[in-house]
Amino acid sequence: MAADPKTRFLVVDDFSTMRRIVRNLLKELGFTNVDEAEDGAIALQKLQGGGFEFVVTDWNMPNMDGLTLLQTIRATPTLKHLPVLMITAEAKKENIIAAAQAGASGYIVKPFTAGTLSEKLNKIFEKYGQA
Amino acid sequence: MSDFSGMEDLLQDFLQEAHDLLSDVDNKLVDLEKTPDDKGLLNDIFRGFHTVKGGAGFLNATELVTLCHLTENLFDRLRNAELELTAELMDVIMDATKGVREMFGELGQGVQPQPADARVIAALQGALNGELPTASVAPPAVEPPAVQMSPSSSVPEGEPDWASLQEAITGEPVKAAQGELITRAEAEPAKPSAAAAPVVAAGKDAAPSPFGRRASDRPASTASNSRRAEERGRENTIRVDTSRLDQVLNLSGEIGLTKNRLTSLRADILAGKSDSETLHALDQAVSQLDLLVSDLQNSVMKTRMQPIGRLFQKYPRIARDLARQLGKDVELVLAGEETEVDKTMIEDLADPLIHLIRNAVDHGVEMPDERAAAGKPAKSLVRLEARQEGDHIVLIIADDGKGMSAERIRAKAVDKGLISEEEANTLDERQSLNLIFLPGFSTKTQISDVSGRGVGMDVVKTNIQKLNGSVEIRSEPGKGSVFLISLPLTLAILPVLLVLLGDQPFALPLSLVREILPIDQQRVQEVGGKETLVVRGEVLPVISLAKLLGWPADRSPEYGVFMQTAERSFILGVDSFAGRDDAVIKSLEDFRPKGVAGVTTLSNGQIVLILDMKELLADFSQHGDAGMAIRNFEFS
Repeated sequence: MAADPKTRFLVVDDFSTMRRIVRNLLKELGFTNVDEAEDGAIALQKLQGGGFEFVVTDWNMPNMDGLTLLQTIRATPTLKHLPVLMITAEAKKENIIAAAQAGASGYIVKPFTAGTLSEKLNKIFEKYGQA
Repeated sequence: MSDFSGMEDLLQDFLQEAHDLLSDVDNKLVDLEKTPDDKGLLNDIFRGFHTVKGGAGFLNATELVTLCHLTENLFDRLRNAELELTAELMDVIMDATKGVREMFGELGQGVQPQPADARVIAALQGALNGELPTASVAPPAVEPPAVQMSPSSSVPEGEPDWASLQEAITGEPVKAAQGELITRAEAEPAKPSAAAAPVVAAGKDAAPSPFGRRASDRPASTASNSRRAEERGRENTIRVDTSRLDQVLNLSGEIGLTKNRLTSLRADILAGKSDSETLHALDQAVSQLDLLVSDLQNSVMKTRMQPIGRLFQKYPRIARDLARQLGKDVELVLAGEETEVDKTMIEDLADPLIHLIRNAVDHGVEMPDERAAAGKPAKSLVRLEARQEGDHIVLIIADDGKGMSAERIRAKAVDKGLISEEEANTLDERQSLNLIFLPGFSTKTQISDVSGRGVGMDVVKTNIQKLNGSVEIRSEPGKGSVFLISLPLTLAILPVLLVLLGDQPFALPLSLVREILPIDQQRVQEVGGKETLVVRGEVLPVISLAKLLGWPADRSPEYGVFMQTAERSFILGVDSFAGRDDAVIKSLEDFRPKGVAGVTTLSNGQIVLILDMKELLADFSQHGDAGMAIRNFEFS
């Protein structure tokens, strides 16, 4: 299925260069409706404001890290349906397990290409499309 | 050729952000030495390296990734209390940080970093393996063995079914023998060559930055013996809080509206309408414009203001390294980091401040045994503080060291032939302390390799004066010294004194003016063929501005301006004054006559030259006497 290019993304990372990279990669894939947040706490605020359809978040951040954000999203009735793609520099087993157990929709390791991102996104869209 | 063509924007963004991050890490490292068990600090530092690593990966800077990865792992072990932070380990970490900074320097020049110093890498790996002599309290090499990856059927009780989780989350079946780096391996093939492509594309697609492209970043080098040359370009972009930009936008909109009002009023007036209502409206519109324009000027100025903390943050590390090198215990305390200063000024302050801090640590602060003997605490405090006082920024560098003795400074200056014994005897405390700003003065007979780098305090003073600022010293023997730097809020506006030669006004920077006095020709004495005037016991040469400019000196100046530059004090002879003004300097970029710093426009539209006294005087003293200057003028 072709994903809706108007899908509203929230990119969460404390490193603005990284937010820009992700934003640019998303743009390359045709997704231009992207907002940014600097950490989990700010992301949560924005998410509670409503309107977001997809969360792409870094793991390691100050204030609230990506895992806690993910757990909070899954524990919040209004947000728990949101697809959450975790981005991290680590591919350690325990990280992947933690992410999966917390209910991550996908997991991607830095650095990645637009192709890799597109694959991950499509898989998630498929999954959510079926549900 | 740049290794980063097509992604310069991305690279510059990365560097700017990563530099800030690393400076922050540097400071946290200094803090960490005091509280080695602070979990929060360890976490922050870990995250710093982690974040840099992540960004570096997208730039294909593999060497930087490797170095950050090792350092990050080290901090992971530290925060999990698997390693103990020893002084030796700290040195390894500091070296690694330095290595990262050097790599930023290389990236800044558009080349992929060379592999880090093999010794640093070896030391990091050694530390991770618990091989530092005094480092490890933990079992060696805790990196979990990547074995039990066998099919999911053999998952032991209680352990999560890792493979199926992996499959669920990545959407791919677990391939055998890929260990714990499964997703990494999946991304791997794209890494060396193909990974460049999307990022390049991303760089190109990126919306052009509203501030244009950075020509160069400025690697904030603290490493003096950097193994690679680092270019010190100036940042020619600036990060501005969007709310400040919004304000500028808002005000320019308002000005547009007022302009429309004026246009319509002009039409009315040209059509012959001149009733009191129209005039009143005109008056109102003009006053409103007045207000809006000055608001706009302020707002625009504010966009150039940056918190001085950005500059301060690299100093604790410098002070710490230096103190360690000298065997001293020094803590640099920062205050007023949020004080905002013009961006250009921040850049130009970097060197003078480093010099003053080095000076305080090297010369000001005593060795621990001396401190003990004097009954002082072993740890000395050097305070670096910024604050705004009215329309000035005041910077303070204070130490609690041994202070300076006016007498010894005088003796030294006489000894070095900088002043005569007679001159020395006339100097008061303040003037004596100021002698250290004379070129060629250094209180230590033996130049240490620390602060004696061929630049002296005279350079500090000259640099501060270039910013239209001043330096003042206060010192109390046994208690310590204080250097007070006073700077104008902005460089865009220069307070000037307007003087007249005949009808022609000239502007002099007010920061150099000490006082104004009438010149009584009867009190002017000729000493060695030069005119001098005695002001409160000080013998000052009288230099006529007309002569300096090479104008025919057909009459004697009536007024004198007592001016003080870093090198000398003198009285500048002028005909009269036209007042003082806040000049908005327009530089003469392509055509810059010697001795002219720029031009400004007076309220009546007249254009006035702003004189560069230093250049004028350099020319003057080079030729020895005024007559020469005139002849030069006549023949050229």
